[in-house]
Amino acid sequence: MIAHQKRTTKAPTDVFGASLSRRGFVKSGGALLVGFGVFKIDAQESAPGVGGNSMNAALPQSWIEIHADNTILMRVGKPDFGTSSVFTAYRQIVAEELSVPFEAITTVVSGDTDRTPDGSGAFDFLGGGMPNCRKAAAYVHQALLDLASQKVGVPKDKLSVKDGMVSGGGKTVSYGELVKNQKLNLTIPVRGELTSMFGLTVVGDPPLKPVSEYTVIGKSFTNSVTVSKVTAKETWVTDVRLPGMLHGRMVHPKTLGSKLISVGALDKARFPNTRVVVKGNLVGVVAPTEWEAIKAAQQVASGTTWTEWRGLPGTARLFQFLKEDADWKTTPIDTSKKSSGDVSPALANSAKKFSATYQRPFLKHAPIGPAVAVGDVHPDGTVYVYTHTQNPQALRSAIAHMLSSSVDKVVVRSFAGPGHYGRSNGGNAGSEDEAVILSQAVGKPVRVQWMRQEDFQWSTQSAAALSDVHIGLDAQGNVTAYQIDHYMPAMQDDRLVGAILAGLPTIPAPNEKESLFGLRNGVSDPWVYDGVPAVLERGHGTAQIGQHSSAINVGLRDHSLRTPVQYQQNFPRELAITEAARLAGKDPLQFRIQHAREKRLIAALETVRDATKWKPRSEPPKTENGERRGQGVSALYRGGTYWACVANVAVDMNSGRVKVEKMTIAVDPGIVVNPLQLKRQVEGGTVMGVSMTLFEELLFDESGVVSSDWRSYPIATMADLPEINVVLINRPEVGKYGQGSEAANALAASAISGAFLDATGKAARRLPLKPEYVQGLLKS
Amino acid sequence: MATILVNGKKREVQAPTDTPLLYVLRNDLELSGPQFGCGLAQCGVCSVLLDGKEVRSCITPLSAVRDKEVTTLEGLGTRWAKQKGLTAEQAAKTLHPVQQAWIDEQAPQCGFCQNGMMIKATELLERNASPSLAEIKEAFTSGVSPHLCRCGTYTAIIQAVQLAATQMMGKREVL
Repeated sequence: MIAHQKRTTKAPTDVFGASLSRRGFVKSGGALLVGFGVFKIDAQESAPGVGGNSMNAALPQSWIEIHADNTILMRVGKPDFGTSSVFTAYRQIVAEELSVPFEAITTVVSGDTDRTPDGSGAFDFLGGGMPNCRKAAAYVHQALLDLASQKVGVPKDKLSVKDGMVSGGGKTVSYGELVKNQKLNLTIPVRGELTSMFGLTVVGDPPLKPVSEYTVIGKSFTNSVTVSKVTAKETWVTDVRLPGMLHGRMVHPKTLGSKLISVGALDKARFPNTRVVVKGNLVGVVAPTEWEAIKAAQQVASGTTWTEWRGLPGTARLFQFLKEDADWKTTPIDTSKKSSGDVSPALANSAKKFSATYQRPFLKHAPIGPAVAVGDVHPDGTVYVYTHTQNPQALRSAIAHMLSSSVDKVVVRSFAGPGHYGRSNGGNAGSEDEAVILSQAVGKPVRVQWMRQEDFQWSTQSAAALSDVHIGLDAQGNVTAYQIDHYMPAMQDDRLVGAILAGLPTIPAPNEKESLFGLRNGVSDPWVYDGVPAVLERGHGTAQIGQHSSAINVGLRDHSLRTPVQYQQNFPRELAITEAARLAGKDPLQFRIQHAREKRLIAALETVRDATKWKPRSEPPKTENGERRGQGVSALYRGGTYWACVANVAVDMNSGRVKVEKMTIAVDPGIVVNPLQLKRQVEGGTVMGVSMTLFEELLFDESGVVSSDWRSYPIATMADLPEINVVLINRPEVGKYGQGSEAANALAASAISGAFLDATGKAARRLPLKPEYVQGLLKS
Repeated sequence: MATILVNGKKREVQAPTDTPLLYVLRNDLELSGPQFGCGLAQCGVCSVLLDGKEVRSCITPLSAVRDKEVTTLEGLGTRWAKQKGLTAEQAAKTLHPVQQAWIDEQAPQCGFCQNGMMIKATELLERNASPSLAEIKEAFTSGVSPHLCRCGTYTAIIQAVQLAATQMMGKREVL
């Protein structure tokens, strides 16, 4: 609940806009709790909507708790998805602002809607250097200084803090002693909407600890959760077992546009304890054991009939469809902020010109475990959802909407599970709504586990895209004009697919008027070559493919995947820059430095150049043992971080197989918060990038997704692992920490395709670089 | 109904004998190490050791594990203690060197696949105490299917296998 000031025993103290109050005294223990006051309420939002976070009033809605025994608890709305940011970087940031050791934070609570304060999701953890937890901790620090000042009788500015001990005037007092036997409450200002995608944001400007005094940020702390995961002591989402819980399996439609004609009869002799649930086009079975549910679902599916639908272009005709059939005229064009100068005359007057089209296929997030969730609808209408979502508060809102209920009636608890890489950052991971619908139908908790095939066929995908590029060069080989037009269907469909099938309310499909991100294709790959005088970057958007013709309004639903939209846009830009360097007769790495102006970007490029002992090519590549080797480079700016990457590849000139031998990545995020964890994140993102570049392409026909397993949607294995060298560039003077892990996947595609061009002289403007495609290129 | 030997203990289970071992371990015995990833033996997240050999529990029916010993992630510490002849007291606080190396190297990202990775590493190191890089890559990519990690932690896994190998050869005491 919102901390109401009327409950205080004396006038609150103003702490840089926050409010510190003493709510009473206690005989033992004592704590400083941090709640929030609503800074600004959105026009459509009622106060109970924000205040109704807690189902159980006994659970304090608190960001940070300082305890009398000098231990500290912190609560974070964002769930951790394995990158460890909640359990390492966030702990470090809070410890730093409070000037306590990392270990003093003994408890981290994250991701449950009834136990955490701020909402939002597992993305943008470092929030431009100002995540909520940093400001919350800074307010707490100031409040503790106020308390200490009163206690020791020394003005605040004469106090110093080290390891949670406040010193001044010859006296020293611990944080624990400051809160001992007291119930203190600090109310901090926030704005936003708790159950929206982005949750609440802490506002105001509490003084922050100077970076020069950092002692915790910058060190490699380990992730406390690793131990429980490695020793089988973690409670995963897959381990949630409730009393009386039943196992559900879905019978999903035959196509992405089918309606139900008739439900297959259940063989009651074989499955005496199974029930079939039908609601609109949603069909599911519920059984006491998982194995019975699986077999019963198969049996029911075999007799269930659906209408036919053929509304997709199919993989083979995808890019022709995007070029010729898709409507790019209705959605407003997005022009980048970096667009400047007059491109048309510059292109017309250039000494050399080059134009090309680049294509990226649909990709799957492909979590290693399919969607699973437990829904538990109580007779009084309260709903508990046990799941693994990147955005529990947004899911809570979506479930309440589906049931035409209120968010006060819904609790979402999140558990460890397989990485989603963006798929559930707007709320649903896949099966939560179906678990709730089945639970409501049978009056018991129901666990719905999607099978592997369903996870490929009924989840969202990362949108396919194509880009047209025109580059002009002067006689000296300088880029005089750059024009890029990106085309991509909408990419943030957070609708609940079970709700769609059941005919229950859900948010609209992405559209320009009503949805959060609309249909616009925002230019999302910030231009970094400021030496180019004329630049025009435009994004063209359209509806999701097949959605409008689908009888159930489904079609190919899209959703952000790591480095969303920027991945789709960096590949054409960076490969085109490499091609332009080639046309100019210049080394592609030096060519980038030549056109860059930002010193941090140039330094990142120089770092990968030096780390790889990069040498400009002095002679054409030779074929040795049937292979040719090449080097490629790419650059990217994202969320405060500069990236540069060099790929070294070997191309088998007969089979067309591309082997990535080495990846070297320089990362300059400003302040490096945790070197070990950042390095591990970048290594992982790099492997995903290699995988996307070489292997990944969603296969679909006119009716639906054909990729159904790891054979039809292969990803990189350990055999495909290149040597990976991550070089971290720590810049305390920047004063901020930029975004970490996810951009590595985007850099890989552009660097690898650049290396392929270097090795073979052929521009592979379509991904992935599968052997058949490469063979065709080599013969061309 | 069947009696099976899991992590050194005999367990009676009521499940039909065509039930895949994975569901028996997870739902009947409430073990959380092996995970459901594909049900097709294509990813390895469900792996367990069957008489010391890595198998995919998602396609192994309950009927196939009678008279054989099943070791899950939960049982790795006990397995190591038994191999080293440790006392019960020592065994209780022992992690398998593979698990310890996974912690030391901070190998997992989401960690969902790491059960199978650690099971495979244990199988490998029990038959090859000092595998080369090529042998490690071979172990994790051969057999019924490669062991897949979507988070891309293969570099960390290799480093963890190498660390575990040195620990298991007694270069560092693990208790």
